[in-house]
Amino acid sequence: MMLRRICLSLALLLALAPPALAQEIRPFVSGSLKEITAARQGKPFILSMWSLSCTHCREELSLLSRMVKKYPNLDLVLIATDTPEESDAISATLRKSGLGGAQAWVFADPFADRLRFEIDRKWHGELPRTYLYDSAHVVTAISGKLDRQRLEQWMHKHFGRS
Amino acid sequence: MNKVTLGLFLAAMSLVGMAQAADQPAHAGHSAPTVPQDREKMWKATLAKPSLAVSVAFDEKGRLWRASAQDGHVWVNHSDDGGKAWSQPVKANAEAESIAADGENRPKIVARNGVVYISYTQALEKPMTGHIRFSRSLDGGKTFSPPITVNDNAEIISHRFDALGVNERGQVFLAWLDKRDLSAAARKGEKYRGVGVYYAVSDDGGASFQPNLKAAEHSCECCRVAMSLDTDGTPVIFWRHIYGKNERDHAMLRLDGKSSPIRVSYDRWEVDACPHHGGALSIAPDGVYHFVWFDNAPERHGLFYASSADQGKTFSAPKSFGNDEAQAGHPYVLSLGKAVHVVWKEFDGQNSVIRGMSSSDGGKSWPLPRQIAATAGASDHPLLVADGTQPYLSWNTAKEGFRLIGVAP
Repeated sequence: MMLRRICLSLALLLALAPPALAQEIRPFVSGSLKEITAARQGKPFILSMWSLSCTHCREELSLLSRMVKKYPNLDLVLIATDTPEESDAISATLRKSGLGGAQAWVFADPFADRLRFEIDRKWHGELPRTYLYDSAHVVTAISGKLDRQRLEQWMHKHFGRS
Repeated sequence: MNKVTLGLFLAAMSLVGMAQAADQPAHAGHSAPTVPQDREKMWKATLAKPSLAVSVAFDEKGRLWRASAQDGHVWVNHSDDGGKAWSQPVKANAEAESIAADGENRPKIVARNGVVYISYTQALEKPMTGHIRFSRSLDGGKTFSPPITVNDNAEIISHRFDALGVNERGQVFLAWLDKRDLSAAARKGEKYRGVGVYYAVSDDGGASFQPNLKAAEHSCECCRVAMSLDTDGTPVIFWRHIYGKNERDHAMLRLDGKSSPIRVSYDRWEVDACPHHGGALSIAPDGVYHFVWFDNAPERHGLFYASSADQGKTFSAPKSFGNDEAQAGHPYVLSLGKAVHVVWKEFDGQNSVIRGMSSSDGGKSWPLPRQIAATAGASDHPLLVADGTQPYLSWNTAKEGFRLIGVAP
């Protein structure tokens, strides 16, 4: 009984240790992109599209996680093209990838074509898909796994510490 | 929730967390024996999602056959009035299993000389793994044979994206993407680009299949394989390959046991991504191969059509089509006599629309594209079928349901 109580307290402590709160997975609907960009007027950020079912996205998430550690002021927005029903799996994957602190969204409209169109007319759904927003919100779009050096250069320019 | 329950709940949560953390190193390994629970749960959730993915085929008598996936079964029914009224659906697989039916995955159906043939990818418990399954009906679609697994490598790895063809002699052909070589390389600590393309042939009408054969090494991982039968009954396949370092261009191969893969496209899309966006192939009665595909290279991007009149020795200059500003994608092609019909999907800002174009001279000239159908909701990829004389668009949409729409200009 005593042992059980200790185990329980230990487990409780572990559970309460940060990050104890599950990451909020926001529903991405028509208009959400405007909300995301409006909240970042004049500021650079990275918008990263990914999915649980995309193998290349796992490597992408780990690269982004390294960037977050190296540049703590990096503003990273992650959008999963899965469904809200998969929110638990999404937050678990992000937590394990070390991205539990990033702002996370999930496609919340079965009419995914419309959401894709709103994000980028030239995006055909391939993943990962990344948008680098500079402070004037001039956007560089990249399909596929990011090139680490190229990303580092961009990061250094926009989030580098002097 | 009182304090004790809350405590127990939190404890349980953290134990789950620890179990997941313990799974992590195994997952990072090559032959990961276990799968993190959340991914497995996710995989099952994906399979449980209702699917719009259907396949249809006409038989010689003009009866339209349809295969769809729901609740772990491939359901087969037929229509004698062009898809308005349907027969009671029959299960092709009596025992429920996970049927892959999203994105590029769908059950396949062929109805020929009184036999109905079905293939599908059975999704296994680990994410992105599967087996190629086959069943047939010899009694006009009333009952189906117990499905057999056609891939003779039994590892829990990816054998997925099946393509099915049946020729006049009753030979049955299945081709698919297969990770057995990648798996073997990983066991030796070696790297393997992409996945293999494998196929199997049945010479007894689908009662059994010959041992699997390798068609090609190093295919892209997640785009559908297309198959069409040449005039001599030999199947030809078309898929997204990986050329050179990482160019995800298209290849074709006649599955005659002696040909080598031939490169069809030179768009040079270098990308480590999952396009989920395969091409299509149709072979005309005069032996001309008609191809359509999607690429997204910086220089050459969008949808393309090309043909070959000499089994792939030479190709026409690829013709670009579709509105790249409207997400033009998922092209399909069907040749019918001298006519060639092409459809694809676009998004016009409000609706998903199917646009099409038809050539009356074997693909040499193409009048302007036109809109064939639209929907204001989720939809399947567009497919084309013919009843021997007329071409039709087959399109399943969440709002309107299944539709068969004539595409003759």
